[in-house]
Amino acid sequence: MAETPPPTTPTRVTYDYVTRTIARTLSTPSRGYFLLLGAAVALLAIGIVTLLYLLRYGLGLAGYSHPVYWAVFITCFVFWVGIAHSGTLISAILFLFRSGWRTAVYRTAEAMTVFAVMTAGLFPLIHIGRQWYFYWLIPYPNERGLWPNFKSPLIWDEFAIGTYFTVSTVFLIMGLIPDIAAVRDLATGWRKKLYALTSIGWTGSNEQWRHYSRGYLYLAALATPLVLSVHSVVSWDFAMALVPGWHATIFAPYFVAGAIYSGCGMVITLLTPIRTLFGLEEIITVKHFENLAKLCLLTGSIVGYAYVCEYFMAWYSGNPTERAAFWYRAFGPYWWASWTMIICNGFLPLLLWVKKIRTNITALFVISIFVNIGMWFERYVIIVVSLAGEPFTKWANAVYNPTWADWGIMAGSFGWFFMWFLLFVKNFPAVSISEVKEVLPPPRSKPSKVHV
Amino acid sequence: MTDSIDRRRFLKVLGVTSAGAAAVSACGIGPEPTERLIPYLVQPEDQIPGTATYYATTCRECAAGCGVRVRVREGRAVKLEGNPDSPINRGRLCARGQAALQGLYNPDRIAHPMVRNASGKFEDIDWDGALQRVTAKVREAQGKGIVFLTGAEQSTFGDLVDEWMKQVGGRRMSYEAFGFEALRAGNRMAFGTATLPTYDFANAKYVLSFGADFLDTWLSPVEFQNGFSRAHAFDAGRPASMAKFTYVGPRLSLTGMNADEWIAPKPGSEGLLALAMAQVIMSQHLARVPADASKLVSVLAAHTPRAVAQVIGIDEATIARLAREFARSGGGLAVAGGMATQAANGAEIVAAVNILNYVVGAVGTLVKFGADLGVGATNTFADLATLTSEMTNGRVALLFVYGTNPAHSLPGAFQQALGKVAFKVSFSSYMDETAAACDLILPDHHPLEQWGDSRPRAGVIGLQQPVVQPVFGTQPTGDVILKLSGRTGTFQDYLQAKWRARHGANFDQYWMDSLAKGGVYGEAPTRPVRLATTAGNFSTTFAEVPSWGGDGDQTVVVFPHPALHDGRGANKPWLQELPDPVSKIAWHSWVEVHPDTAAKWGLATGDFLLLQSKFGGQKFPAWITPSVRPDVLAVPTGQGHSAYGRYAKDRSANAFELLGGQATVYGGRSFIVRATASKTGEHQRRIATIEGNARDLGMGTTEVLPLARAKALHPGDHPFHFEETPEYAKDAVEWWAERQHEKAELGNYKGEQPRWGLAIDLSKCTGCSACVTACYAENNIATVGEELTERRREMAWLRLERYWRVDEHDNLQGAVNQPMLCQQCGNAPCEPVCPVYAAYHTPDGLNGQVYNRCVGTRYCSNNCPYKVRYFNWYNYAEKDGKYEAFPEPLSMLLNPDVTVREKGVMEKCTFCVQRIRGAQNQARLENRNVRDGDIVTACQQTCPSDAIVFGDLNDRNSRVFELAGNPRGYHVLAGLNTKPAITYLARVVAQDTPGNG
Repeated sequence: MAETPPPTTPTRVTYDYVTRTIARTLSTPSRGYFLLLGAAVALLAIGIVTLLYLLRYGLGLAGYSHPVYWAVFITCFVFWVGIAHSGTLISAILFLFRSGWRTAVYRTAEAMTVFAVMTAGLFPLIHIGRQWYFYWLIPYPNERGLWPNFKSPLIWDEFAIGTYFTVSTVFLIMGLIPDIAAVRDLATGWRKKLYALTSIGWTGSNEQWRHYSRGYLYLAALATPLVLSVHSVVSWDFAMALVPGWHATIFAPYFVAGAIYSGCGMVITLLTPIRTLFGLEEIITVKHFENLAKLCLLTGSIVGYAYVCEYFMAWYSGNPTERAAFWYRAFGPYWWASWTMIICNGFLPLLLWVKKIRTNITALFVISIFVNIGMWFERYVIIVVSLAGEPFTKWANAVYNPTWADWGIMAGSFGWFFMWFLLFVKNFPAVSISEVKEVLPPPRSKPSKVHV
Repeated sequence: MTDSIDRRRFLKVLGVTSAGAAAVSACGIGPEPTERLIPYLVQPEDQIPGTATYYATTCRECAAGCGVRVRVREGRAVKLEGNPDSPINRGRLCARGQAALQGLYNPDRIAHPMVRNASGKFEDIDWDGALQRVTAKVREAQGKGIVFLTGAEQSTFGDLVDEWMKQVGGRRMSYEAFGFEALRAGNRMAFGTATLPTYDFANAKYVLSFGADFLDTWLSPVEFQNGFSRAHAFDAGRPASMAKFTYVGPRLSLTGMNADEWIAPKPGSEGLLALAMAQVIMSQHLARVPADASKLVSVLAAHTPRAVAQVIGIDEATIARLAREFARSGGGLAVAGGMATQAANGAEIVAAVNILNYVVGAVGTLVKFGADLGVGATNTFADLATLTSEMTNGRVALLFVYGTNPAHSLPGAFQQALGKVAFKVSFSSYMDETAAACDLILPDHHPLEQWGDSRPRAGVIGLQQPVVQPVFGTQPTGDVILKLSGRTGTFQDYLQAKWRARHGANFDQYWMDSLAKGGVYGEAPTRPVRLATTAGNFSTTFAEVPSWGGDGDQTVVVFPHPALHDGRGANKPWLQELPDPVSKIAWHSWVEVHPDTAAKWGLATGDFLLLQSKFGGQKFPAWITPSVRPDVLAVPTGQGHSAYGRYAKDRSANAFELLGGQATVYGGRSFIVRATASKTGEHQRRIATIEGNARDLGMGTTEVLPLARAKALHPGDHPFHFEETPEYAKDAVEWWAERQHEKAELGNYKGEQPRWGLAIDLSKCTGCSACVTACYAENNIATVGEELTERRREMAWLRLERYWRVDEHDNLQGAVNQPMLCQQCGNAPCEPVCPVYAAYHTPDGLNGQVYNRCVGTRYCSNNCPYKVRYFNWYNYAEKDGKYEAFPEPLSMLLNPDVTVREKGVMEKCTFCVQRIRGAQNQARLENRNVRDGDIVTACQQTCPSDAIVFGDLNDRNSRVFELAGNPRGYHVLAGLNTKPAITYLARVVAQDTPGNG
């Protein structure tokens, strides 16, 4: 691939600059990249070894104790499903709203979405007791003469996640087509062949663009409701159960807001290093980060409001079990988890009201890490703490402690996610070439050598 | 025949398939390999495969002599059930009795005779060789002291031992770790007879226990519990009243926590309380006092409530009130034993309580002399101390030990003295501490494998017959002794000869009848006793509360563990995993510390405390509980074995080691000792389940009614407001009910089916936990061991929740015990959330759990408000697995009617669905409907207090229907509209003083 010295001023951000800058992200990886990839694969290996142990000996290796029958695995499941949310929000909803700023960040967000769903989808399989019978949950005419129970929220989950995964994958791949064609024209060797194949004959003709943009629009319209439905359905895993702390009508919007909050947090976490490492400062600007931060602020505030609502309703309803559950949450043995959650998700985003913080990339990166931690703990608190302190049968209350197996699988999930993500950014344009150009002023001087 | 599969081809396919399955399962995942069934080549005459045979025999787990019926399937004993013909246990059984099977199939049984070789190690020896050695040793030792030590052994076997000992010039001694020396001595003091009476709890109108734990370890627990629950229950059939139960003792035992009122005087002063009560009764003429009691007047005069209140730490008014209540009930029964009588003045306490019984006329009516309980004939602790010193001085050359483990429970001096005995022979079938110290082990058959009998009391002879083929190469000790004494024939012949001597005419018929019935069940006439002329003389010794042996600033009470007892239960995983009914601690020992004391010492539950008495030191994790007096520390026995198999060895600490070897004046052993206590800095993570009282914790689950309130209830009353649907929810619930009714048209869910239900009377339930062990036995529930129990992974389908009962000042008064098991909800939260229909509703209203369909999402458990579903975290049946629950041959006791669950599936109480289907099949064969009472669940079957009733709620004539309509009845968490099939009947507390939980 041709090397071009990086431009120094934004005025030099031209079509040509965009193509070359983004194409450069696909150049021969540095040692740093391999170190990162190695770390991800190592984490994944830990996860795989842990999984083999779980398969051989049983789930008892994890920290479960009666009655905490869902714990870190389901926490991770919801965490990753949540991460998956901002991708479609940014790519589909903001597309429909014609927000120009999305163009620079949506590809990363979308890729994150697909890999996060791929990660999340593994957890229900790992967490069930007889993993080798996971296919019994899938509805298809079978020799057992038995359909799954469509009343069970777990089956709804399966549909919601399955649909979401399919649509977001299609959406990602479709958006990639013009960009792949662009890098195809620059690539040589095996990459050329790969890109030629995956760009499915894209030439950039008017006809193709016309069909493409129509199709993209409809797909965006199709994906939009999924942003709301997936996490609503995931939340019903809990809201449909009668466990105090789970059984609440607020759960669907509360979970969706939380998911977008965590998703935006993760986008910031991922974009910050990518931007610096790949020299994309001109393309992904502070403005983009500020917009993501505003989205965090909005959804974080909704989450904070939901927390207040939950506690208020526990008190206002006068329901003794509800009250006991929330008292346990705040002041029981897991007070530290609850307060981590409340501080990270309820108070931390309020910092984003300050423009100085909002536009400081380092500050945003640090905050985004805490957003991730806070949202992980939110799921931990909802799942583990509600079960451990269930007030119906106080006698059965337990204190739960995760073990190496819980952490091993969780580490593996991070390894799995980052492995895919790192492979993606090195092999496909992590920023949309064509869409970034859409928001640039059209070239007035001589055309670029590269045609897109 | 061309296109059909022929046999050869079928087998070929089968072989390939199962080889493939085996290959898959070799990696430990995937389904278990298919196993083949092997039919009988020659079918035994009395065995029908798939049909159980029952044999009547006698339980030998303790000296009470309960009758049992053993359920035998295909040659394996799979379940013990109480023998309804036995007048002792009336068809009921305790947890220890249930666990006898784990003694039979214990993986650590000694399979062959063993002899200690020159290097001090045991090596196998054949029976002939072993017997020759014994014969030689007997000849050698004649005249130098031969002792045959047995447990409480009032039986034909005991007679045989006596005969043999006479023949060889030796003597037999018998030893029970928790003997009844004080009871015997106290009876001699008061009535001039050292025998043990029996007590008629069933007809008592007021029960007052001075430390006697008659529900768990004292004399005949199953019988007493059965009687007690009749008296203490709030039953429909009686005039709406109940016998009040007051417990006097320094700590709440299983028995104590069932009390309506708990009085905790200073340990050792219980006798003064009894005398003061007698004084009030006599001086105020509260009862028709027998004429000869007049000689007590002067003696009792010194013991007015005012005079003793200070010493015993109970105020004057309370003493007077207790006396009034006791006398005016018109059927007061006082018993003394356990902790109260294991001190230096134990005999005096018994005598004082005897006097109390005498002045209210209970002696002869409720206290029946003449029964002469067999356990009263054991040697005293003083005799054992003498034996120890004889052994030390080399005056015993040959010692036989049978059915007892003195090296564990006797003071260390005995262990040392064992070394001085030239040759020691153990007949133990387990490598217990005593066997490990012997030179030769001649393992005995388990009682379920051999002939024998037992005479627990006058008039009752329980017959014991082999119910299974011997599991190992053991031999019945009866046969061995006959051989050693040069006689011909087996012990069976000997036994029959002895029985023939008693009943010559028409013997064969008599024998067969007795065998079928389980023994000879008669009643000995009550022998009248009169107050001894010396009675009352002893009262001067009460001037002060005795000081206990040793120095140290703490009073430590050592009490018998309800399940492990003196340690003999410790090798049975069912009993190890059974949470102690009071502390709820399993698999290890503990020390009970009052919260005030703990606060003073900065002690948290689980911190180890080193108790150091003059005689020994041991450390125990603290259990901080209000159920013990602040100035007392209490420690159970049972653990701390240095041998006795994998389940018992090196587990926790042995409380016996704190105790001294000095016998009391009446020949008993003092179980109260002075000691120092210090923190060791170690901590045990999980020591007990949750603490708290019913008001805080049993919110909507545990209900208590004061007696007055319960009496005022009429049929149709609803004292529990949550039982009624609130106004705002009525529409929704009615709508729901209508839809349910419509849906019932689909499938066969209409009302013509039975609706199986259970009624549990909390007023009867004592928390003894026999049901828990019965459930383990019936349903193949895995024991998971200490590590997993600490992580709360025990599988008990039925658990007993113990909630403290407090008065309005938060003073502990006792506890309410609530068995918690699957409620088989009509509107079950577990069912709709299962994605694969593993949890589903059967037409007869059960919440089915299909193990084979379960993938283990565990959603059902999360959604279960009762938290009664248990998950198989590991494969507990995995051979040689780390958590193997049924190591060979323990797996032989598995109930073939119940699936052994695989790793990764959920399980829970099924209402013993195998028994339901069995009874239904039987009824179908007999072309009739299932009758009420045909189906008895395992928990109901064993319950000594008859607290559980099973039946069809749709049958208006069933017992359970009647109980479900009782105004005391309520459903746990009824507000959730789960429509449970279990009706709990509220605990009624007989307490006239204001205020209780």
